[in-house]
Amino acid sequence: MDIRLPSLGEGADSGTVVNILVKEGDQVQKDQPILELETEKAVGTIPSSAAGTIQKIRVKVGDKISAGQVILTLDGGPAPEEPTAVPATAPREVTRPTTAPVAAKTIPGIPPPASPSVRKLAAQLGIDLTRVCGSAHGGRITLEDVRAYIEQLQAGGHAKVAKPIERVDFALWGPVTKKPLSSLRKTIARRMGESWSAVPRVTQFDEADITALNELRKKHAGAYEAKGAKLTLTPLAMKAVVATLKKYPIFNSSLDEVTDEIVLKEYYHVGIAVDTEHGLLVPVIRDADKKSVLELSRELEELAANARDRNLSADQMKGGTFTISNQGGIGGGAFTPIVNKPEVAILGMGRGALKAVVSDGKIESRLMLPLALSYDHRVIDGGSAARFMVDLVAAFENFSEADVRI
Amino acid sequence: MEPINTDIVVVGAGPGGYAAAFYAADKGKKVILVEQDKRLGGVCLNRGCIPSKAFLHAAKLINEAKESAHRGITFEPPRIELEKLRKWKESILDKLSGGIGAIAQKRGVEVMYGRGYFENSRSLRVETKEGQKFISYDKAIIAVGSKSAMPKSFDLGNPRVMTSREALEVEEIPQDLLVVGGGYIGMELGTVYAALGSRVVVVEALPSILMGADPDLVRPVMKYAQTVFKEVRLNSKVARMATHGRQIKVEFEVNGQTKEEFYDRVLVSVGRVPNCGDLGLENTKVERDDKGFIKVNTKQQTSDPEICAIGDVVGGALLAHKASREARVAVDVIAGEPRAFDSIIPAVVFTEPEVAWAGLTEAEAKEKGIAIEVAKFPWAASGRALTFDHTDGLTKLIIGPETERILGVGIVGHGAGELIAEGVLAIEMGATALDLAESIHPHPTLSETLMEAAEVFYGHSSHLFARRRTE
Repeated sequence: MDIRLPSLGEGADSGTVVNILVKEGDQVQKDQPILELETEKAVGTIPSSAAGTIQKIRVKVGDKISAGQVILTLDGGPAPEEPTAVPATAPREVTRPTTAPVAAKTIPGIPPPASPSVRKLAAQLGIDLTRVCGSAHGGRITLEDVRAYIEQLQAGGHAKVAKPIERVDFALWGPVTKKPLSSLRKTIARRMGESWSAVPRVTQFDEADITALNELRKKHAGAYEAKGAKLTLTPLAMKAVVATLKKYPIFNSSLDEVTDEIVLKEYYHVGIAVDTEHGLLVPVIRDADKKSVLELSRELEELAANARDRNLSADQMKGGTFTISNQGGIGGGAFTPIVNKPEVAILGMGRGALKAVVSDGKIESRLMLPLALSYDHRVIDGGSAARFMVDLVAAFENFSEADVRI
Repeated sequence: MEPINTDIVVVGAGPGGYAAAFYAADKGKKVILVEQDKRLGGVCLNRGCIPSKAFLHAAKLINEAKESAHRGITFEPPRIELEKLRKWKESILDKLSGGIGAIAQKRGVEVMYGRGYFENSRSLRVETKEGQKFISYDKAIIAVGSKSAMPKSFDLGNPRVMTSREALEVEEIPQDLLVVGGGYIGMELGTVYAALGSRVVVVEALPSILMGADPDLVRPVMKYAQTVFKEVRLNSKVARMATHGRQIKVEFEVNGQTKEEFYDRVLVSVGRVPNCGDLGLENTKVERDDKGFIKVNTKQQTSDPEICAIGDVVGGALLAHKASREARVAVDVIAGEPRAFDSIIPAVVFTEPEVAWAGLTEAEAKEKGIAIEVAKFPWAASGRALTFDHTDGLTKLIIGPETERILGVGIVGHGAGELIAEGVLAIEMGATALDLAESIHPHPTLSETLMEAAEVFYGHSSHLFARRRTE
């Protein structure tokens, strides 16, 4: 069957073949462009009026052809319809920038998609732009992208490096179940990742003898219970921590990386890490220095319950100046908590355990609480941390009964 | 004799050489610029770009006047005073060359007139009018350029057989001119002589004129050439030439048959060869390729650690703007900066109409198997093109299908050489078709065709002639 040049309309009934888009042996679909024709008015594509296999192409580039002239012969396929007019090109969607930027493929003779000034800078810094992901439309690499790439190299990270993350098919070695990350888990992952890569963290360990404090707690527990509150170690630890924070204000600060300033806070809002079935949540108890142990106990219980019910507002988890993570209720010894950025320090508490302690040359059985103080070494030096720890241990060990009594 | 010591010596004061010398001086280097010609500026200024464009402007004036009758404007046939035309051209060259000399002086670049010859990797001998001078340098930049090739069989020692150099002197307007070679030089100079009144025949061995440009860009040039030239003969070769009285007898080979014709003058424009002879390169470690061009890396370094080379003498695109960019790279590299040539090189042919392209061409993409999309905007749909009475133009964009990045731009039409600069910027900046489409281009100008071609890519150009499918 022959495919003929359709009528082009508007008085243009002939044209010059500019480009042949198919070759002999090709399968063509109906309406598939087969050649480009230049007429008096324009260059346009000519579609095939039928589907089939191309047996013979009857024109060549440069030929002047007229409407009705045979362009090519098809093998088989259904009978041709009347030649259709030249269709307009279908509008094309503007593609949105892809969410995960990837480095552009290199095209021989064409520089990477970055301006000459950015390319010159990259050359001076010895940066291979083909490894940098462009964030602008079409993968264009901006100065910001180069900056981010350098920061990443300095941080030793690979988050935005062009090298794709290698996926592992775990099903190869046995059955697996997959479930999507919850948004809370994603937030935790992001926050922990940020803290891990941004904060040079040191953890200081010690133990506090809480034999006396525990006696104190037991002694007053009944009174608290009578008021509908449960006296645990956490509100007592908050008191001890706040007292120590007041002595060492740097532990109650934040680093403003934009202005290169240390922001010392004159309030004491203590975050408490709460283990829930959804994941870690950190509600904040405001003005812990101004509240009694009873008030702290009640508020803590309420916030923890809200956390487990996922009933916390975003505001209730903001504005902390220091965080306490008490794993004692679960068990375990010392661990290395991660600083809850933008705070600069966090206290991890393990489970208090009876230990044989040498005191005045005698071995005694004492209830020892493992403490782990992690801090941002950009802001806090080791000496300060050691001093903080010594005073904190003392605060636990010399807890005033007046603070507990109600 | 005591040698003159300098940081850098630049051999050749063309657009590569003087750019290198000036930039090096700006960077605080002591520079000597050696030039064997009596005038600075090289081929570009003296025997190439500039004089040919002056004559092409004159040709355009003549042609426009001739083609204005349908607009109701007629002129008497022009009277051409060759002497005055040549003087006008010379005045342009003097001005430009004088300007370069003045700038050299202001920058403290010493210009030494004479032929340079490498004694070894660190020393150059210059034959000046005052005798031999020796320059001892830290680094040398070779920028000696190229000259028209003249195959031995055409070299009759007869001034009627010309290269572009003689043709640009326009000693006379021959009645019948044969142009051998349908490249840009042949086509441009053929246009000049045709406008001045010669009957011009262009003969090209290949199946098309202006090889290297995409066929759709060449087509309007071919179309126009066929109206102003007596003939454009493709797939044909000149077998031999001989002096025949005041004419040149030319034997052609067309489809295995021999044909004999007589011409008053012949212009041989079959390519260019590097000016490497008699430069003393054998006394250095500089290596050359099989065509005689100096081998360099992307830092413009030759095989000799003390010597860089730039411009036509290293081959590639033989274009002034390529040489000037290479000059910057060479000087930066000599100054110890990490730098390599990574620019795209636009090409412009000043034919009627002009052709210009930059970046990837459609043919190149096809050949290398690079996935592209092409968006074209024919000038028949441009209001500005209509008012110029030149609707034979086309603007096309070569676009990366996934990134939508502009990878190449091709333009044929009035002023294409000026328009291509936007295309170069787009490619160099990594712009996408959307960037072009979203930038307001002033109306009515030909620059709109770039924006509209980008809009064609997205399927919503305002002025493209495109019919809706019949429902």
